[in-house]
Amino acid sequence: MTPFLNGFIISLLFVGGVYVVAVLERWSMTGNVNWPGPARSFYLLFAQEEIKTRKHDKVFFETAPILFIGVILLTISILPFGRGSVMVDLGTGALFINAALVYVMVSLLMVGWAVNGVYAMVGGWRALAQLIAYSMPVVMVLTATVMRAESMFLTDIVESQQSLWNILYQPVGFMLFYISALAITFLPPFDLPVAEGELAGGVWADLTGARKLLFRLGRLTLVLTLSVAVVVLYLGGWMGPWLPGFVWTFLKTFLVATSFFAIGRYMPRIRHDHLLEYNWKYGVPLALYNIFQVGIVLLL
Amino acid sequence: MISIQLILLIIFGLVAIWFGWRVFMTSSMVRSALSLLGSMVAIGALFLVMEAEFLGVLQIMMMGTEMSIMAVFMMMYMMDPGGLGNMDMSHQKNLSIAAGVAVTVLITGAVLFADWGTIVTQVPSPHEQNRLLGMEILKRSMMIFETAGVTILTGMIASIAVALSIKSSREK
Amino acid sequence: MELLITALIIAAILFGIGLYGALSQTNLVMIMMGIELMLGAAMVNLVAFWRYLHPEAFSIQMFVLVAMTVMALEGAVGFAIATQRFRTSGSVEMEESAELKG
Repeated sequence: MTPFLNGFIISLLFVGGVYVVAVLERWSMTGNVNWPGPARSFYLLFAQEEIKTRKHDKVFFETAPILFIGVILLTISILPFGRGSVMVDLGTGALFINAALVYVMVSLLMVGWAVNGVYAMVGGWRALAQLIAYSMPVVMVLTATVMRAESMFLTDIVESQQSLWNILYQPVGFMLFYISALAITFLPPFDLPVAEGELAGGVWADLTGARKLLFRLGRLTLVLTLSVAVVVLYLGGWMGPWLPGFVWTFLKTFLVATSFFAIGRYMPRIRHDHLLEYNWKYGVPLALYNIFQVGIVLLL
Repeated sequence: MISIQLILLIIFGLVAIWFGWRVFMTSSMVRSALSLLGSMVAIGALFLVMEAEFLGVLQIMMMGTEMSIMAVFMMMYMMDPGGLGNMDMSHQKNLSIAAGVAVTVLITGAVLFADWGTIVTQVPSPHEQNRLLGMEILKRSMMIFETAGVTILTGMIASIAVALSIKSSREK
Repeated sequence: MELLITALIIAAILFGIGLYGALSQTNLVMIMMGIELMLGAAMVNLVAFWRYLHPEAFSIQMFVLVAMTVMALEGAVGFAIATQRFRTSGSVEMEESAELKG
């Protein structure tokens, strides 16, 4: 299979993946699997009239959705989907994931400020606290996977899992990255910034039309991207018997994404102070313990 | 010799300078903080152009977090975060403009009239740079690294101690 | 040679803007922004020296890491002082902090 054909099939599978994730999100909210649902929502939002609030901050209102989508697309381009199927094999790939997640937070703060409304601003501040907090364990558990691979190339991190997948080698790290991925994409039970019932839609309460569509679509793409990151870092990437590499990646990603939404369906929303407490008091020391444990096992 | 590196340096340098100037020329406080973020991202891009990849990504990541916290503090403590009042809050303007221009001219003079020696064109690859930087941190500069760690801990404790409210202990 | 001189002149202009901000603003948070710009300019200088004169000396990159640490720390301690000033006197304007008491 030529690289171009590989890349084309992977892009198609990715777009299909975003559609499947949208169906899964609707399942996690209501319990029915509604296959034409996302297409109708897309069309309705796209054709909706665009209402701008009074005295909104023009620069940030226009820039925030573009920053959000741009950062997510950059993250997709550095993740390896199969052996040799990576757009940009960055030498500091593992750190780049974390850097991109920080700009997701900046764009949420921008849009929360720009619409000049109370609900959006409170949602933006909650998003700021949550995303700063849950970025800390992410960088530490990424360090532990880099320690095993002895290089920051994401393809090397996958290759280093030949003998034993990272989920068994660093189980604490896997749990922390999983929970942090749930919190960074503010999926339920961590969905305070976009709380449907509590904050009237939170950060994007005052957005309508194509802008809201960009944010919701971007959030689903972020869920898929973080699932691929979980698979690449902890579940062995493209490794598996007879099927080609990228098929295995997408199968594992589908499993991880379904588990994200299943947790959201069956757990209540976590309170804000519990959210931050779990991170700073338990998450960061556990991440440091993870580095310690991986270091000892590596040196043995 | 107009090389691609020179063009990129000039572009990102002008972006950094423009955002840096906008920090002090705008009256909206949040725009000021996020404009400083733009300047820092341009500086990170300058690092990437100068082939220090780890430092560039690190700078971009850290400055994102720091500037958004600064934006929230601006919203908390300044009287006009939206900038709709158009007030000019600066003092001793002539002195500071003179100081800024004088320092720039002095440094530019020192840069243009010094003999820098030969320019090296071979730089290690990013993967090799990470490895060598790690070796440097953990072998020769271990003492500096540990001191930096203890300094960060002291800074954390000091900032929490300064920011704690003393009224709650007085009411007892 | 032009590459090195361009990078150093960019850093010089950034330093000048930062110095103007640190001297002319009355608000503590704005002064801190000026200081961060000056530190950023110093880091650009360091990386330019590393790249064009001594790419084999990684202690220069260590210096840049220490400068980044200093940026983060002075931000943290500065915000703590701003919190305390706001609590006692109601604003963070440095003009009103000329007294030693309070």
